[in-house]
Amino acid sequence: MINYLIQDPIKDAPPWAETPATSIDEWGQLPVQAGNFDHVDGLFYFTYAVCIVFFVIITAVLLYSVVAHRRKTWDQKPLSNVTHNTPLEVVWTVVPLIIVMIMFAWGFKGSLDMTTVPHEAQLNTYKASAKQWAWQFTYPNGTQGVGEVYVEIGKPVQFILESSDVLHAFYAPSMRVKRDIVPGRYSSVWFTPTKMGVFHLFCAEYCGDNHSRMYARLRVVDSTTMDDEPWNQVPTAEDPIEDRVAYGATLARQLCSSCHKMKATDVVNTGPSWLGMYSKEGDEYIGRQREVIEAGVTKTITTDDAYIIESIRNPTAKIVAEEPYRKGAMSKFESLDDGRIACLIAYMKSLADN
Amino acid sequence: MTTNTPAVDVQTTPAAPPRENYLNCSKGFKSWALSLDHKRIGIMYLVGVSIAFLCGGLFALLVRLHLWEPEGMLFTNVEYNQIFTLHGAFMVFLFVIPAIPGSLGNIVMPLMVGAKDVALPKLNLLSFYLWLIGAVLAVLAIVLGGFDTGWTFYAPYSLYTDRAVVTIGLAIFILGFSSIFTGLNFIVTVHKLRAPGMTWFRMPLFVWAIYATAILQVLATPVLGITVLLVAFERLYNIGIFDPRLGGDPVLFEHFFWFYSHPAVYIMVLPAFGIISELVSVHSRKPLFGYKLIAFSSIAIAVISFLVWGHHMFTSGQSTYAMFAFSFLTFFVAIPTAIKEFSWVATVWRGSVALNSPMLYTLAFLVIFAIGGLTGVILGALNVDLHLHDTYFVVAHFHYVMMGSIALAFFAGLHHWWPKMFGVMYNEFQAKIACGIIFVGFNLTFLPQFVMGSRGMPRRYATYVPEYAPYHQASTIGAMILGSGVALMVYYLIASLLIRKTAKENQWGGVTLEWIAPTPPPHLNFDHEPKVVHEVYDYSTLDYDSMQRDCK
Repeated sequence: MINYLIQDPIKDAPPWAETPATSIDEWGQLPVQAGNFDHVDGLFYFTYAVCIVFFVIITAVLLYSVVAHRRKTWDQKPLSNVTHNTPLEVVWTVVPLIIVMIMFAWGFKGSLDMTTVPHEAQLNTYKASAKQWAWQFTYPNGTQGVGEVYVEIGKPVQFILESSDVLHAFYAPSMRVKRDIVPGRYSSVWFTPTKMGVFHLFCAEYCGDNHSRMYARLRVVDSTTMDDEPWNQVPTAEDPIEDRVAYGATLARQLCSSCHKMKATDVVNTGPSWLGMYSKEGDEYIGRQREVIEAGVTKTITTDDAYIIESIRNPTAKIVAEEPYRKGAMSKFESLDDGRIACLIAYMKSLADN
Repeated sequence: MTTNTPAVDVQTTPAAPPRENYLNCSKGFKSWALSLDHKRIGIMYLVGVSIAFLCGGLFALLVRLHLWEPEGMLFTNVEYNQIFTLHGAFMVFLFVIPAIPGSLGNIVMPLMVGAKDVALPKLNLLSFYLWLIGAVLAVLAIVLGGFDTGWTFYAPYSLYTDRAVVTIGLAIFILGFSSIFTGLNFIVTVHKLRAPGMTWFRMPLFVWAIYATAILQVLATPVLGITVLLVAFERLYNIGIFDPRLGGDPVLFEHFFWFYSHPAVYIMVLPAFGIISELVSVHSRKPLFGYKLIAFSSIAIAVISFLVWGHHMFTSGQSTYAMFAFSFLTFFVAIPTAIKEFSWVATVWRGSVALNSPMLYTLAFLVIFAIGGLTGVILGALNVDLHLHDTYFVVAHFHYVMMGSIALAFFAGLHHWWPKMFGVMYNEFQAKIACGIIFVGFNLTFLPQFVMGSRGMPRRYATYVPEYAPYHQASTIGAMILGSGVALMVYYLIASLLIRKTAKENQWGGVTLEWIAPTPPPHLNFDHEPKVVHEVYDYSTLDYDSMQRDCK
């Protein structure tokens, strides 16, 4: 499994290791269009063509002049001394003016379309929380994911964007959308996915050390897959413990593994390791004694189930006092329900040493 | 009235001492360090900005080498971020902004208007020393931990990062004053020190361009100074202007920054336009097509450039009305720029086109600037910009303008006025080869960046998705070629000073006043006060006989 917060970028697999390369569209310049903003492609290729025409004209005239009017003797005089040609000057002022005004109107109309969120998209609102250097997503039903987000094909979707530290930008090249995320204010993007597949989601605004590692997979799936995603069927206390552990493991990979160590081979150490969080004595799981900081005061407590639940919903209430955890960098997972948290704890306990 | 033949012989005898000029009129360190001669100050600027350019270029080569592999070849992410920031900051603040006004502007502009010096020679020397202090502080900032904010210093990252942001901020503040003083000096010079007969519309276009630039420098640069000062205060005293944790607004920083930095683009590019206007005319031996239109378009660009800063922020979430206005004006500024390009091409048309090295650099400029300008039009479209913003497409676009156009125009001007400045000629053959290498290397470096940018490669990435690797590798190869071309140029220019092959009095057949001054000019520029009786670029006044004598 991939770690989204890269400690040592040389050793770790890049976050995009599982994403297939995005193909190029049929015109050969833009990534394949997987969204609904076709007017971006239209205007891009129109402008591109206009630029090529102008460039060819300019270079052709220049090249011809240089070859044909080349100075062959040192005292050669120019063929003409003309410094004005009013019709020509009017043409090369007015024609480009008309062309750029067309581009302006086309582009402005398109951008209005991109910034006006339609009602259907508002009904399908995700939250994307950006922080150095990871993406966390909250689905309309409250479930959360890190480093990967599923959207349904053909269904307009809006992302409300927020940042808890510095500037970031939400950039999905295949959807043609980009929006800066400014700490302290909300912004939003919307699009309608029109093509199934896995696409890049980059951070496009420089945000510090691991800016280039701030990446998420944007999965466009059909409605059946959306419903079948494992996190939509949460095992309850009646289900076998193995099911709960397995679900907890999946959820933990989605949400927690980018910061917490879960296997001996994991290198992440942003949050406290889950190994040895509990110890097993007979059939009992015992939480360990830990120094925590509560409201600025350091005290020793037992990290039992109640502590884990509190730490997931409100991580800064009691922060583990050791370095480097005492920064209290964890996001709040307020919307995780009791059932899911119970599965996470079941998984955590399965990691206990006997 | 019989001619005295022996007297002529005496004049041409090699034993005659070299005539006194600004380079040999006094000697010693102090005669340079405390010189008030605009030409000597210009030479000191030239040495300084060239060193800054070579440092910035070295950083660029390191960046390109690192990006040879998707996971990065040389550095950790943290190191990479510092190196690309150094590249940007050195190139923008220490090279591109001061290069042409400080060096060529200083040396050539007073000669062109027929003045003995700039209006305020002591202020001129102060400008140079402020530049030097800024440069020393920038180097000090590297020693004190470097800086990793990008040259744009966007808040709040620039407020939180634990690096030497205050030191580099101070450097930029001081460099800003250097730029303001230079601008002030040039405005006064152009207004007060023009030679008799030089009306406004007899001024060479390089002077027009330097004048328009000077206005921008004086009006826009204080905003940058205030902005970096606020960032420093914010870091030191937490006053809460830009920091969202204290109720500040990071977008306000972007507005402040681009309110300066967009006009700054024209502070950088207008002098380059000026050089090209001169050179296409001289080397086509033809008056410039649409002189007044070019002069006015310089002023139009200077004015409109104050009103387009928002196009750097289309994704930042400004209001729809702001987007409307900024996009409209951005397209509008394309028109005077296009007029310039067309007028230059029309000047070459049916001219007497000399394919010497300054003209080759000029032609390279015209081709590269066409691409740089046209791709700017692509970025001006609002919806397209939402896709291309902060990708390599933007990187390629502004390198076509900053490096491909401005630096090439600087090289062109350097080759054009080198014989006037030093009285020596470089090796023309090597110069032509170097120009070719630079042209090929430059395009190989940056054309692939357009492609990967439109395919979605974000800028300022230390590592990248492997599908972009072929473009990055092509770009890296191009950068190495470009670097070797620049190395060759540095070599033959320095070699020319050692070999000392004497240049002609009027090497290219120019008719502006700097070619009437002796080569190299004496301390006070002219033997007699020049009087302007002809229109500018009137090549019918060219004295072919004296040029022929010169040739022999």
